[in-house]
Amino acid sequence: MEGLTLLAAIALPIAAGALLPVVRWKGRAARDAYILCLTILTTVLATVAIFGNFPRLSLIQFNDRLSFALKLDGIGRLFAGLIALLWPLTTLYALGYMRGTQKEISFFAFFLMSYGISLGIAMSANLVTLYIFYEMLSLSTLPLVMQKGDSGSIRAGLKYLYYSLGGAAFAFIGLVYLVYFGGTTNFVPGGLFRGVAVEHTAQLRLGYLLCFLGFSVKAAVFPVHGWLPTASVAPTPVTALLHAVAVVKSGVFAILRVTYFSFGALVIRASYAQYIPLALTCFTIVFGCSMALKEKHLKRRLAYSTVSNLSYILFGALLLTGQGLAAGLLHLVFHALMKITLFLIAGVYNDRAGIHEVGELHGIGRDWPVLSAAFALGSLAMTGIPPFIGFISKWALAQAAVLSGGLLPYLGLTALLVSALLTGIYLLVPSTFIFIGRRPGNAPGTKPVETEIRISLAALTALMLAAGFFSRPLVDFITRAASGLV
Amino acid sequence: MEGMLLLIAILLPAAGALMLTLMPWLNERREDRCLFVGAILVMECVVVALVALDGQRTLVLFKMTEQLPIALRSDGTSRIFSAVMALMWTVSGFFSFSYMKHEQNEKSYYAFYLMTLASLMALTLSGTMVTMYLFFELMTFISVPMVLHTRTKEAVAAGIKYLIYSVAGATMGLMGIFILTPNISSAYFVEGGSLLAGSLTISKDAFLVVIFITLVGFGTKAGMFPMHGWLPTAHPVAPAPASAVLSGVITKAGVLCIFRMVFYVIGADFIRGTWVQWALLGCATVTVFMGSMLALREKVLKKRLAYSSVSQVSYVLCGLYMLDTMALDGALLQLVFHALTKDALFLCAGAIIFKTGITRVEEMHGLGRRMPWTMWMFAVCAISLVGIPPLGGFIAKWYIAEGALSTGAPVFSWLVPIVLLISAILTAAYLLPPSVSAFFGGMADGEAVSALPKAEPSLMMLVPIFILSLAILLLGIFPNFMIESFTRLANALM
Amino acid sequence: MGIVQNFPFFSIMLCMVSGVVTSVLKPRAALMTTLFTIGSVLALSAGTLGMTLGLDEPYTFMMGHFPAPWGNEIRIGSLEALMATGLSAVLFVSLLAGHARLPSLVTLQKLNLYFIMMDLVMAATLVMIYTNDLFTAYVFIEIMTIASCALIIVRQHGHTLVAATRYMVMNLLASGLVLLGISMLYGITGHLLMEPLNQSVREIYESGTYREVLTVVIALITISLGIKSAMFPFHAWAPDAYSFAPALSSSVLSGIISKAYLFLLIKFLWRVIGIDIIQSQQIGSFLFYCGIGGMLVASVIAISQRDIRRMIAYSSVAQVGYVYIGIGMGTLAGLTAALFQMLAHSAAKSLLFISTGELTRVSGDHKRFHYLHGAGHRDVLAGIVFTFSAMSMVGIPFTGGFISKLQIALASMPFGGSIRALVLISLAISTLLNAVYFLHTVVSIYRKAPDIEYPRNERIPRHAAVALVISMLMTLYLGVGSGPIIRIIEAGIKMFA
Repeated sequence: MEGLTLLAAIALPIAAGALLPVVRWKGRAARDAYILCLTILTTVLATVAIFGNFPRLSLIQFNDRLSFALKLDGIGRLFAGLIALLWPLTTLYALGYMRGTQKEISFFAFFLMSYGISLGIAMSANLVTLYIFYEMLSLSTLPLVMQKGDSGSIRAGLKYLYYSLGGAAFAFIGLVYLVYFGGTTNFVPGGLFRGVAVEHTAQLRLGYLLCFLGFSVKAAVFPVHGWLPTASVAPTPVTALLHAVAVVKSGVFAILRVTYFSFGALVIRASYAQYIPLALTCFTIVFGCSMALKEKHLKRRLAYSTVSNLSYILFGALLLTGQGLAAGLLHLVFHALMKITLFLIAGVYNDRAGIHEVGELHGIGRDWPVLSAAFALGSLAMTGIPPFIGFISKWALAQAAVLSGGLLPYLGLTALLVSALLTGIYLLVPSTFIFIGRRPGNAPGTKPVETEIRISLAALTALMLAAGFFSRPLVDFITRAASGLV
Repeated sequence: MEGMLLLIAILLPAAGALMLTLMPWLNERREDRCLFVGAILVMECVVVALVALDGQRTLVLFKMTEQLPIALRSDGTSRIFSAVMALMWTVSGFFSFSYMKHEQNEKSYYAFYLMTLASLMALTLSGTMVTMYLFFELMTFISVPMVLHTRTKEAVAAGIKYLIYSVAGATMGLMGIFILTPNISSAYFVEGGSLLAGSLTISKDAFLVVIFITLVGFGTKAGMFPMHGWLPTAHPVAPAPASAVLSGVITKAGVLCIFRMVFYVIGADFIRGTWVQWALLGCATVTVFMGSMLALREKVLKKRLAYSSVSQVSYVLCGLYMLDTMALDGALLQLVFHALTKDALFLCAGAIIFKTGITRVEEMHGLGRRMPWTMWMFAVCAISLVGIPPLGGFIAKWYIAEGALSTGAPVFSWLVPIVLLISAILTAAYLLPPSVSAFFGGMADGEAVSALPKAEPSLMMLVPIFILSLAILLLGIFPNFMIESFTRLANALM
Repeated sequence: MGIVQNFPFFSIMLCMVSGVVTSVLKPRAALMTTLFTIGSVLALSAGTLGMTLGLDEPYTFMMGHFPAPWGNEIRIGSLEALMATGLSAVLFVSLLAGHARLPSLVTLQKLNLYFIMMDLVMAATLVMIYTNDLFTAYVFIEIMTIASCALIIVRQHGHTLVAATRYMVMNLLASGLVLLGISMLYGITGHLLMEPLNQSVREIYESGTYREVLTVVIALITISLGIKSAMFPFHAWAPDAYSFAPALSSSVLSGIISKAYLFLLIKFLWRVIGIDIIQSQQIGSFLFYCGIGGMLVASVIAISQRDIRRMIAYSSVAQVGYVYIGIGMGTLAGLTAALFQMLAHSAAKSLLFISTGELTRVSGDHKRFHYLHGAGHRDVLAGIVFTFSAMSMVGIPFTGGFISKLQIALASMPFGGSIRALVLISLAISTLLNAVYFLHTVVSIYRKAPDIEYPRNERIPRHAAVALVISMLMTLYLGVGSGPIIRIIEAGIKMFA
């Protein structure tokens, strides 16, 4: 059955991860090779699935209205592609980073499983399936957050867990509404309620709002963003990939699905169900940046930056126009590229030079010029300086806002600009410091940086830069995917 | 390929900078380095002249998205600005060959110097708003290291302040670009503007507010109130030749952006007579006045010159915002002359520091005896800056004042000339006394002064200043060809 | 067809006989006998279920050839058969999984007494499921009370005695109330058999004669059965009882016995009185709000517990709250949800108690959380089982708990307005609360163990491990393949009232 490719792409890494602790490995190299090969193999499978045209694959029928099914459509392909692209590179980085920590086995076991589960979220054909993978992701990433095992990590992990499950509990309400009013949870472009009677619209709006609030926990919207900065205690590959790409983008992806493929723009538009989420995202955009500015700890600063940027995506999507969605999707991809690069470099600073706070960055550019240059480039991109990708997505968002008109879109536009300014300050100023000044005498010496880390960072930086110059096919694809949905 | 010259004008200094960083053998010995940089600068002047003579050309570099071309274009405006920039840069560059002997980190200085020139050229030659924004930001980031050059705490703080102000200003400008884009008929700059005033996407009032914010934002680089705070700290801490170009040239980049936005995108007619025009004029006049006042109180020479720049560049803006042909003429004249003058003044100040270590105005007594050539040229520039005929500054200010009076605009038609007059007096107050005391001061300790050694700087430093002073003199006496071309341009734009 | 109709009767008789026989057997033989009995009950119930699925009407069965209204009558429909199958399956698996630890907790002489009680519990459960008359119901309520108390007190340990005493007192009180209620009902209607009773009740209600008495009767019986099934706020006996009894007993108490009482209550409300009358008397609302209260308050208290068994006990109270919400809604959908939750909770909770027993065992019999750190590594299977059951409590997809939550939420949708909002939001909060205390515990059992000496214990016997896995599969099945089960419940309800 040809649809099995979809399942294979999901099941392979999960199985591989589950097997990792069980098999007795003949030395570290064999284990590392296994991990890397299986990750790449999964990427290959995912690529085949993305570019092929596989039909929907229904795996389990829970009852007449709920089924566990996989299917790839436009935005699913986009998200799956992003995950499949970034996971092998981060795995490569992690192989270098985690070396010698004695916890590699449990780390990579859950890391691999999370890969499969994230792909599952992208490939879900209906809300139940997405919900299942969503919950599973919370559980599979929990041990990764708590990896270090000290009390701070455990507290951070539990906070993450409670927030995630609490959010999912509220998102569950949306699922109930869909089953009750729509009879199914399948994702349909334009939503299930194209011709719905008026009295139901009012109830559906409430259901949507609760669902949005539920999923917005993973998408770190104010006021339920609190778990993300705390989760920065996790090892860097975890924070980078999961908390800048997979987990938080899953929250955003779920909201996109629910907004455009379940409830539908028709139901939500021009009502409190659109306005409240829009207002929350506008606030979060500025809030995240302000907190980032105040924050001295480097990884937490980047975490707050993620909080802000996720709301850029949601803002675009909540405009409920084709351009808005396209702009949001563009930022989804571009932010992932930029943020993961920044986080991974921050990880090197953290772990190989003992730099945890922004103030300690002085002069590290002398020891690692290329790495720091990449950090500066990433900062420029995040601020939205052309010709880097950050500018392209911000431009698209701004244009979408201007075309929408209305108070909230313009408020969002202002928020975007203020945020750009603040981002400039909280990222570019440290980038400057990196290159001037000297490291204090009592600073720990720099440990050598493994080859795997160098290669992965080089690849990621190259991707980040190239995307700016070759963004057109991507933009075309996204515009096509987005325009049929409204 | 059409427009290849445009690309060369940008890539030449950039390539030079890259070669300096990547080919250490070029950078090893001072002589090699200076020769190389000098050659590049001179070649650049040639290229710019060729571009200016070539006529209007467009070159699309690449398309970020379908609607966002990154393109270069040469036209009347770019001719003026690029000529000024290239000339200033070359002159200051030659000066620095000698000056930088006693600063550290010379190697990186020239690379950033050339890169900044490249980005400035690109900015001048930008053909669309987004291109202009791109190079505006780029130029900011590349010029930051020049400000930070000495790596002292003061310099670093000043550099960061410059960075933040610039990013803030650019963001404000970006807001305007965002909102203007759906409202214009052509992404490229069009003489007279391409605004679809009849079918704006937002209300006219909101639009005016946006325009105001945009122009204030771009005005940051030009040091216009209220975004002037960075200038007095950033300009002085840089090495003197860098201060020269920062004050003399990079501020003009801010003016250029405003110029482009007002005359090539929005169109003067849309703004004329609205509160935006009055508000901007207000800001500019305030800056003129305030800059002069602050310069008067300032005792450190370089800082005094920096505040003076704040004031003088806003003369340009005053003329610009009058939205009148004659005033615009005056503005462009002021632009050229201020560039020449301020550049020269900073170089003089640099020479003084280099040779005697004197930084404060009161220490300049009797300096004229020790460095006669330098101080003579200082005096000439001071006179020009004040606006005394027959030197160039006078004509510029005359045109601005006359233009203002002739517009018949409420309040500002008489306020502007008055403020200009007051400012001229203040300028005289803060520039003439040091010049005078340089020659006639220190009489009481006559022996003490003459006992001090002669401190005339080397030819390498003198000649650039001389060239500038000569230009000020000659252009002041024979301004006509400039006035004609400026008038032609101004008419085309309004 | 013919012989199968007798199966329910056979299963009840088998349990009674087995109980008698067990009294003279040695412990090992007693165990085997009980296992055999319960296994047979399971088989017989499954057969009954298969048969009733093809029926449209329930059928009644006279016991002892005495016709009603004097004789005992049982009524069998697909719903009853399903419950019997489900509960006997859970009991069988629990017994299989939990019996190995009994000898260390119970003195050898008392061991076969324990199995007798187990048989009695099974019998009483079956009767409460199948019975069609109130007198039999009462008799077996008493039998159940005694048997369940014996299950607790068999341990003869300080706290256990106190817990058992409290249990006894509250249950006897409840039994008294039931007796009172039944007597009064008999007094005003003159019937004990359920169908004639229903007719009488309706007549009384329509004519308006003994309205107040009727209300009192309903209140008495409802509250007493509520006490027995640990409905909030009458649950005070539950934390101690579940906490200090042997793990197998808690598992049976929570998983089987409370369900039997619940089923009897449902039968009373729907078949004896009639749900419309119940609703008009606001009884339904009362049960609904008790359910919501239990769901939220019990979970909040559970968070503050330091002892794992008590925490799970409070969790049981909360989960029973879900059932009461379903019952209280008074609609078909609500009842379906309640019944499904009964099955799901039964399967998951019994498993939870037994795995907790294992975890405490490998932690030196300490129940406090601090000692349980690392228990999941010491006993891998128990850890996995505990985690899985915890997920069912929280309501993670693929477990029965998730479907249960979904059913309750869907049942609340037609209500609109505040009831719907109350249910949905309370469910969400409850999920979060459950996550807090259960998943915190899951994390705890996998943490690094503190530096104390843990006694080495024999590993769990193979068949017990298999039983644990089977019960995990049951929860999984309820999570994945709930469609048929829900259909059976819906069809069964139609036959039921």
